[in-house]
Amino acid sequence: MASSTHSTLQAPSDEGNTPVQSRPVAAAAILVLGIAAILFGLMVSVSVGAADIRLATVWEAVFRFNPELPQHQVIRELRIPRAAAGALVGACFAVAGAIMQGMTRNPLADSGLLGLNAGAGVGLALAFAFAPSLSFTYIMMYCFIGAAVASLLVFGIGSLSHSGLTPLRLTLAGAAVSAMLLAVSQGIAILYSLSQDIAFWMAGGIGGASWKQLRIMFPWVAAALIGSLILSRSITLLSLGRDVAAGLGQRTRLVQTAGMIIVVILAGAAVSTVGPIAFVGLMVPHITRYLVGVDYRWIIPCSAVLGSILVLFADIAARMINAPYETPIGALIAVLGVPFFIYLAGKRKGELQ
Amino acid sequence: MFLFNLQGSGSVKLAVAGFLTTTLLLSACGNNNSNAGGNGAAATTAPSATVEATAAPAESAAPAVDKTVTDAMGHKVTIPANPQRVIASYLEDYLVALGVTPVAQWSTKNGTQDYLAAELKDVPPISYDLPLEAVTGFAPDFHIVQSEGTVQNGLYDQLNKIAPTYVLGDEVSSDWRAALLKIGELLNKTPEAEKAIADYEQKAASAKSAVSAAIGDDSVAILWLVSKNFFIVDETRSSGAVMYGDLGVKLPNLVTEIPAESRAPWNPISLEKLSELTAEHIILVNSDKAGGAEITEGAVWKGIPAVKAGNVHEFSADTSWLYSGPIANSKTIDDILSSFVK
Amino acid sequence: MNRFLPLPPDKPRRSRDVSILILLAALIVILFLVSMNTGFMRLSPLEVLHTLSGNGTRQQQLILFDFRLPRIVISLLIGAGFAVAGSILQGLSRNALAEPSTLGINAGAGFAVLIFISFVPATTAAPIFVLPLLALAGASLTAALVYFLSYRRADGLSPTRLILIGIAVGAGIYAFQLILSLRLDPQNYQFVAIWLAGKIWGGDWRFVLALLPWIMIFVPFACYKARVLNVLNLGDETSKGLGMPLERERLLLLATAVALAGACVSVSGGIGFVGLIAPHLARRLVGPRHQIMLPVAALSGALLLLTADTIGRWILQPAEIPTGIVVAIIGAPYFLYLLAKSKA
Repeated sequence: MASSTHSTLQAPSDEGNTPVQSRPVAAAAILVLGIAAILFGLMVSVSVGAADIRLATVWEAVFRFNPELPQHQVIRELRIPRAAAGALVGACFAVAGAIMQGMTRNPLADSGLLGLNAGAGVGLALAFAFAPSLSFTYIMMYCFIGAAVASLLVFGIGSLSHSGLTPLRLTLAGAAVSAMLLAVSQGIAILYSLSQDIAFWMAGGIGGASWKQLRIMFPWVAAALIGSLILSRSITLLSLGRDVAAGLGQRTRLVQTAGMIIVVILAGAAVSTVGPIAFVGLMVPHITRYLVGVDYRWIIPCSAVLGSILVLFADIAARMINAPYETPIGALIAVLGVPFFIYLAGKRKGELQ
Repeated sequence: MFLFNLQGSGSVKLAVAGFLTTTLLLSACGNNNSNAGGNGAAATTAPSATVEATAAPAESAAPAVDKTVTDAMGHKVTIPANPQRVIASYLEDYLVALGVTPVAQWSTKNGTQDYLAAELKDVPPISYDLPLEAVTGFAPDFHIVQSEGTVQNGLYDQLNKIAPTYVLGDEVSSDWRAALLKIGELLNKTPEAEKAIADYEQKAASAKSAVSAAIGDDSVAILWLVSKNFFIVDETRSSGAVMYGDLGVKLPNLVTEIPAESRAPWNPISLEKLSELTAEHIILVNSDKAGGAEITEGAVWKGIPAVKAGNVHEFSADTSWLYSGPIANSKTIDDILSSFVK
Repeated sequence: MNRFLPLPPDKPRRSRDVSILILLAALIVILFLVSMNTGFMRLSPLEVLHTLSGNGTRQQQLILFDFRLPRIVISLLIGAGFAVAGSILQGLSRNALAEPSTLGINAGAGFAVLIFISFVPATTAAPIFVLPLLALAGASLTAALVYFLSYRRADGLSPTRLILIGIAVGAGIYAFQLILSLRLDPQNYQFVAIWLAGKIWGGDWRFVLALLPWIMIFVPFACYKARVLNVLNLGDETSKGLGMPLERERLLLLATAVALAGACVSVSGGIGFVGLIAPHLARRLVGPRHQIMLPVAALSGALLLLTADTIGRWILQPAEIPTGIVVAIIGAPYFLYLLAKSKA
């Protein structure tokens, strides 16, 4: 195996006989430092923006809120939800990626690459075209359904074949399903002259996040994240192989179904709020596994924390690079994600074939 | 409702799609039948087949008055002496001002230019991307195309095969007076064009003094709200040119703060930045009545000084504010007067 | 993978192959006739005949000779080109899900066009071939980049790595396309959006002439290399054992596929799925021997694309649906069926 020196660090591709290694100390450190970094990121995020607001005013808006002052309203109504949404969707994408990578033992799983984001996009295009005045709850439902359909297409059909999906086949299937779903969205967009509206959304943007959206998505996301922690032990076993997991008394079908539901909720909620941001779910779990080892009880919370940090700071950068205009965050993250993907694809020759 | 209808007819056609081959093979067998249908369709879409002969520049009846001009892209265009069947997609405003009725009008799935609905109510729509067969079906004898961007990738040559095609160009069409004069010249209607401009200037001058008396030195921001994004209008184009140029109203701070070289006719602006708008009045062109309510009900929007003071004048997307041209601008002046001059 | 194993040629099989070729050709002719009758302007079969024999009105001649016929011919050429390119890539990578767009070819072509539209104002008449040439350059550069990134001195060109890196590069380009397209004004945006979705442009005999040499050279060349593709299917070790210069042949075939797909993309915009589905169809019909499979794939691809273009022109009249979208929507169910059926 080409990457034998790293093999204990990369659970999904490991053979069942490698010992399960994890580093609880490193993981605990990541959680503590990471949460501190998130708090710091939230503060920075609230302090920068298109409107020129002094730092002192920012803190007044947070701690001595005065609804009469427009600047306070900007902080309250725009910047705080935006920062919170960034942190939240970062966790969503990262945990969705971690679960998919663990369950499918596939190092290249990511909600963007496997078509879930594109599926949610079709849901959104349908919502824009046929019911432009839908409330956010329904838009999110459309995205859930779209993401669910996409994941059924990619995984459901893949799992029909006896030996499961190899990473290569899964990635190809994801690319093809993405292409197909993208074509459907494009068709709707071109016919209904929505193209640029949808393009804005496709490029990903946290700017539009509002308290209302957060209030609606938060219960779903919280439930899904808690669910992923409950499932984390089973996912660790699944990541050793379905046969191993079944041998250890796991009800693998049940775990996989529950895992997929969680992934669909996480991806759908995140996509409906900020658009399809790819590569977070690919990069973060890898980095996390490298740092904390192969136990998903640690990987999932640490991925959530690191994903939050990534998206939070990328969003800050998106506001500062070309101020006062915003750079699409999806593209910013792709700048990191593409080389990462190429690195993974280049390195893992033996295992992917 | 409109969308719903479209959806319905779309799905019907989808269902029929499966029978494509069958249907056409059947129609091939029933020659008489389909022949009659075909002629019927041709008759309705191209009411005057005889005009077609004059459409070809070569066989034009009166070559003496044909004129050859050079368009914005450098094409030599020979215009028939007296164009009868003109298509000038997205330039209908000018044709109406010159008293010319086009044979087809610009449209998208979402409809036509609503503010011209009364003037163009009998004119059939044609899709904005000018599908060649549809254009042929209208048997035009002269095309005017607004922008170079519309006829890229060989579309110009194809259109020119149907009828002489003149590209006005972005430079000319960004200045409605120049565009009107140019179109007037092409259609032998220079006096009408000059008169339309003179009438407009007179109307603008009297409106200018009325508005200045009413709001004095106040600044007015024109905002366009579409799919939850705001755009702010500068002084160069459409309603901005009317408001700030012709009527001399003061530009709002947020426009003057944008460096001139990066200014666009419509500048995207975040709600956060809008909170710093100091203009006394806001014209809100609302293309997002349903989805935008969340924003216009929000605390940030309500905290903007002009909104707080109740000085928001809202217009729907079917008004002339988003368009440019003699008719559009004149209607915009009417709207400004009704907003500020009581 | 066992479907790829070459079968020994046998007599009854061969006569079946010929009849399949004839059947496909006949279907194309029928669809050709149907397509000539299809469009916004109704032309009855009789009128079409009249016009073809030179007795139509000027309008009818314009529609038939200048708009419909070139478009039909372009559809056929593009369909065949994509299909053969896809067959080569599937053979090379020994992977049934590979197709030209997996190598980032569509993305690269689209990106080149987008850059041109974004930064070059359309104030003068650009020569008609500027966009196609740029698209071809974008496609080739992307393919070269993917090749370069996936080549390792140690083990040469791994087909798996090629595909994965193609997907990665495609995803990256797509992200930048989005950034650029947001800066466009709506009119140019619509143009680019439709280009990216894959539309067979108006139809123009000059495009036919531009495309024809590529198809006429590279499709026969691919057929000439059919034996090499058969051997490659047996695996790297076997191919080497049979004394084949593996790397050289692979590069040559890859270049052929890129030339075909790049030329097609440059005229059609981002059409996918034809290169994925047509080879499968062909393999089902005549088996994996490339000598017969390639021509059948070319015909199936031509048929598929002509069908899609005809439907796209007709179904939502007077609006047209970009052909790429119709192809994706027709192709998707078949693709999913393949995905469900195929073994890992």
